[in-house]
Amino acid sequence: MKILTLTTILSVTLAGTAAATAYPLTLTDDLARKVTVKAEPMRIVSMVPSTSETVCALGLCDRLVGVDQYSDYPAQLAKVTKVGDLYTPNIEAIVAARPDLVLVSKYSKLDGPLTQAGITVVAVNPETYDEVFSKILILGKVVNREVAAKALVTTMARDIAKTEVLTRAAPTKPTAYFEIDPTPYSIGPKSFMGVLLTKAGAQNIIPESMGDFPKVDPEFIVKANPQLMLGLDAKTAAARPGWATLNAVKSGRVIALPADLSSNLSRPGPRLPAALRALAKLIHPELFR
Amino acid sequence: MSTPSPARPARPARRWAGRVPRALGLALLVAVAVVLGTGLGRVTVPPGDVLGALWRGVTGHELVGSDVIVWQIRLPRVVMGLLVGAALSMSGGAFQGVFRNPLADPYLLGVASGSALGATVAVVLNWPRAVIPVAALVCALGAVALTLVLAREGRRFPPTRLILSGVVIGSVLSALSTALILRGQDRARLVLSYTLGDLGFSGWHDVATVLPYVAVGGGLLLLLSRALDTLQLGDLTARSLGVPVERLRLLVVVSASVATAGAVAYVGIIGFVGLIVPHIARLAFGAGHRTLLLTSAVLGGAGLVLADLLARTTVLSQVGIVTTLLGGPFFLWLLRSQRD
Repeated sequence: MKILTLTTILSVTLAGTAAATAYPLTLTDDLARKVTVKAEPMRIVSMVPSTSETVCALGLCDRLVGVDQYSDYPAQLAKVTKVGDLYTPNIEAIVAARPDLVLVSKYSKLDGPLTQAGITVVAVNPETYDEVFSKILILGKVVNREVAAKALVTTMARDIAKTEVLTRAAPTKPTAYFEIDPTPYSIGPKSFMGVLLTKAGAQNIIPESMGDFPKVDPEFIVKANPQLMLGLDAKTAAARPGWATLNAVKSGRVIALPADLSSNLSRPGPRLPAALRALAKLIHPELFR
Repeated sequence: MSTPSPARPARPARRWAGRVPRALGLALLVAVAVVLGTGLGRVTVPPGDVLGALWRGVTGHELVGSDVIVWQIRLPRVVMGLLVGAALSMSGGAFQGVFRNPLADPYLLGVASGSALGATVAVVLNWPRAVIPVAALVCALGAVALTLVLAREGRRFPPTRLILSGVVIGSVLSALSTALILRGQDRARLVLSYTLGDLGFSGWHDVATVLPYVAVGGGLLLLLSRALDTLQLGDLTARSLGVPVERLRLLVVVSASVATAGAVAYVGIIGFVGLIVPHIARLAFGAGHRTLLLTSAVLGGAGLVLADLLARTTVLSQVGIVTTLLGGPFFLWLLRSQRD
C-alpha cells in the first residue's frame, strides 16, 4: 500500500503537469519575493553564469539578450551583450536590452531598481546539491520549458549515477583535503562541492560540524594527514610549514585543478555531471581506463 | 577626548625596588603566552609530547608524530606573534610620542592601506603566493614615502601635515584596493583575509624574513627613545636642548614604519594592538620612552600570541578579528577610566 502511494506520488510529480506554463505565473522566488511573470519571457537577461547555462540547456540561448561578464559557457554566449556582473551590474545596459525577465541570485541588489523600472526580476539561487535540480525545474516553469527541464534533470541524474556506480566500487577511497582558497578555506561535506567530492569517491577530512566553507587551522590538516590534496599545486603544499612530510605531498598526490574544471565545479548548473566525472577521474584515474 | 597627559620625565627609579618584580612579571607573562600558545590548539597534544617536540626540534632529531604540528606550525606561529605584536606596539608607542597624540597608531602614515594594496595587486594578478608579502612590503614603504613627500614643507615635516597626508594617502590607496577587489571577485576572500590579519601559515622561514625589519626598526626606536622624551616638552624646548627635531621626527617615523611594514607584509593588517598596548604600558610602567617601548614590545608580543590562541581555538578564526573585537571596547574603557 505504502509503496503504491509512493509510486503514485512520484509519477504524479514527475509526469505531473509537464504541460505549457499558464501565464500570468506567480511564484515566490529565492529573495522571498512574490513575483508575477506576465507572459512567456522572450528577452531574458541572466546575471549568474550557472543560470545562463541552464537557460541555454533548455534551448533558449537565443532569447538571452544580456548576460553577466562571467557567463562564458556555452560558447555562443560570447556574442551576447555583457552587462556587468552581479555585484557591479550595469543597470543602464540591462534596461537598454529591453528584457522582459532578469534572472539574478539572492546576492544582487538589482531587484529594487529593475522592478521600479517595470522589469520582472526573479532570483534563482541554487546553493545545495539538491537545489541544483529543483531550481532547474523552477526555471523551466518560469520560461515555459518544463518538459525540457524535466528531461534535463533526468539526463543529469543518469550521468551522475554512471560516475557514482564506478566510484562506489572503488576498492579504496582516499582521504582528501579540498582547498578553495589558500588562506586556507576548505569545503564541508554538506556543501555543494563537498557532496561532489564524496560522490567522486573521496573521504573529505572536514567534518560536517565545521560548516560548509570553513577556514581551516593548518594544524588540523597536518593532523588529518590526507592521502590526497586538491585545489593547490605540489610546490605550494610542500612549501607550507610542516606540510613537506604529509602523505599527499610525499606521494605526489597534490593536484591543482585545471581552470575549466574549477570554474565548472563552482557552478551549480547543467554541467554538474561533467564536473563530477572530471573530479572522479582525478581522484580515481584507475577507474577510467 | 582627553588630552594627552604631559609626560612625567622617567622617574629616577628607586633602582631595584620596582624594577625587578616588574621585569619578572613581564618575563612570566611572555613565558605563559609561549607555553599556552605552543601547548594549546585545534589539535590536542599532551604536555609531555610538546616538550619532546621542542627537544627534538632543538637538537635536530627526527620529528615524530605530532612534533611537526608543535615545532613547524605552532611554535613559528607563536614567535611570529611575539615579533609582530612587538613591532606594532613599539611603533605605536613611538608614533604617539613623536606626534604627541594618544590616538596615533603605526598605520598613521599609510602603511596599512599600502600593504593591503600591494597584497591585493598580487592576489588579483594571480602572482605566486610567495610574492604577496614582497608586494605588500614594497607598497607599504612606498605609501610612507609618498606621505612624507606630500607632507614636506621645505626641510620640515610638520606633524599635522604628516597626519593629514597619511589620511589622504590611506584613503586613496584603500579606494584603489577596493576597485581591484571588485574586478577580481573570486579572489576577494584572500584579500579580505589579509586585511583582517592572520598568523595562519607562518613558518620559520617567514619568521626569519620578518625578524630583520623588526630588529632594525625596533632597535633604532630604542636608540631614539631619549630624544623622544625630550620631544615631549615641545618642539621649541627640544630644539633649545639640542635635539634635531625634524631629523628625529623623520627617523622615528621611518624606523617605526619599517618595523610595521615588515611585520604586516607577512601576516596582514592586525588592528588596535599598536594603538592600545602603549597606553597599557604607559599606565603600568610610566611614560619614559625607553621603558615604554621595551614594555610595549613585551606586552604586545605576549598579547598577540594570546589573541591568536583565542582566534584559532574559537570561531573567530583570525587574530585580527580578535584584536579588534577585544581592543575596541577595551580602548573605550581605557578612555573613560582616565580622569584628566
